[in-house]
Amino acid sequence: MAFELLLGAWVATGLTLFIFTFLYQDNPLFKLAEHLYVGVSVGYTIVKTYDTVLIRLIYEPMVKQGDWSLLIPLGIGTLMLARYLPNATWLSRIAFGFIVGVGSGLAIPRIISSFILKQVEDTVRPLISIAQGAPTFTYNLSDPSSNLNTIVLLIGVVSVLFYFFFSIEHTGPVRVAARTGILFLMVAFGAAFGYTVMARMSLLIGRLSDLIEYADPQYGRASLWLGVATVAILLLWRVQRREQPPDTG
Amino acid sequence: MNFAERMLHIDRRIIFLVIGVCTLLPLLYPVGLAIKVSSEVRGVHDYIESLPEGSVFLLSMDYDPASKPELYPQAVALLRHAFRKNLRVIGMTLWLPGTGLADQVMTQVAREMGKVSGKDYVFLGWSPGSGSLIINMGQDLYKAFPTDYYNQPTRELAVLKGIQTLRDVNYVVSLAAGTSGIETWYVYGKDKYKFELGGGCTGVIAPGLYPLLRSGQINGLIGGLRGAAEYEVLIGQKGRAVAGMDAQSATHFAIIVLVILCNVFYLLVKTSRKQGEAR
Repeated sequence: MAFELLLGAWVATGLTLFIFTFLYQDNPLFKLAEHLYVGVSVGYTIVKTYDTVLIRLIYEPMVKQGDWSLLIPLGIGTLMLARYLPNATWLSRIAFGFIVGVGSGLAIPRIISSFILKQVEDTVRPLISIAQGAPTFTYNLSDPSSNLNTIVLLIGVVSVLFYFFFSIEHTGPVRVAARTGILFLMVAFGAAFGYTVMARMSLLIGRLSDLIEYADPQYGRASLWLGVATVAILLLWRVQRREQPPDTG
Repeated sequence: MNFAERMLHIDRRIIFLVIGVCTLLPLLYPVGLAIKVSSEVRGVHDYIESLPEGSVFLLSMDYDPASKPELYPQAVALLRHAFRKNLRVIGMTLWLPGTGLADQVMTQVAREMGKVSGKDYVFLGWSPGSGSLIINMGQDLYKAFPTDYYNQPTRELAVLKGIQTLRDVNYVVSLAAGTSGIETWYVYGKDKYKFELGGGCTGVIAPGLYPLLRSGQINGLIGGLRGAAEYEVLIGQKGRAVAGMDAQSATHFAIIVLVILCNVFYLLVKTSRKQGEAR
């Protein structure tokens, strides 16, 4: 096996175990892994941004291909750095103005079209279908497009909107509608929480699958050796902490 | 303190241990529970299946290493399917921290399927902008990505022959761990350039994407590790996702039991307190 694969397996195993030690309690191994994660992430981001943006998208097209029009976005982008110069901070507003203007111009119409108009269009569906010239009503709850589900969706949307309608007091029929809205919201939160639990368990499964793989002899039984080492370090740390006199500060 | 009260104040590390054991045991000794394929996962599979050989498939791997356990198996399954169908595959990412991971999965699956970089597939890497990058790709792919991840000029790549903009792409799938992801591809891509769009996502963001599925804004959705397992079943190549399904079922069962027990103990404590007050 290639050395870099072996090293990668040992580093991944060690850091996974170090992070897992937090389940026992906060400790130096966890802090080491946490700080490494932050440092490596930031370092990777800086290097990739430098290589992709400054070198590939700006330097090479300008110097090698003579595309000097890139000086315009480069100039606008550079104005951002004026925030660090107390006398020229105002220059950064030009860059911010450009970003806010272009960003809003691009986003607002597209988001209205995609998330409001399209969703309203999907919500307002016929409650009764016409099949072979005769009105029909489908009851299949597992079919999202059935007529019964269309009614459920309509009741859900209207009742939740009532719940968030604060201009009138929630009494009488409005209270009934708002309470129905809460039921729909609870179902939605439950579904979201269920999916979140599933996602978190998937992450645990992913890490444990890796630990099982790296316990193989071809990886030098990294999981076993590092597991033993992690437990030993934690025990030493506990003993050392007990021996230390309490901080009277 | 009675038994129910003691149980409600149980050391949470015991619960961690229970969950850990419930996850580990099925991974070591798999049972092979049945996996039923959902219509949303089938939507992505069937569309790829319907594409003729040489069609252009763009896979945007919009995730970082934190979401690898859920989205990596999805990427592997989708790439295996696309390469098996002899589609021209374009890989990219909107997430900078995921660049290395995306390159790794493309290279690994391409090597496994005997595909050549530049001829059968290309990995474009990452470029800044997300939404504006997609718009840029919709106007001119080569301006958005003058070179691929390995610094090869994209105009010279055989795999991109005849492709000028996103309008020439037959199918886009975004594997998303958040924003930027499926929604970004819909808002700035599909809605404007009219290609077909499918999605894969982490479990956390899946409920928020179902409205897009119902309205037909995306034609399929692979949700979490479960979705990846379903896709592996569909292509007949069982991998990491299927292997993790027994563990997923066991942990879900453990959590359901813990929730029920917790509620029972809570009610018992409440009842005993009321009885104490009545005396």
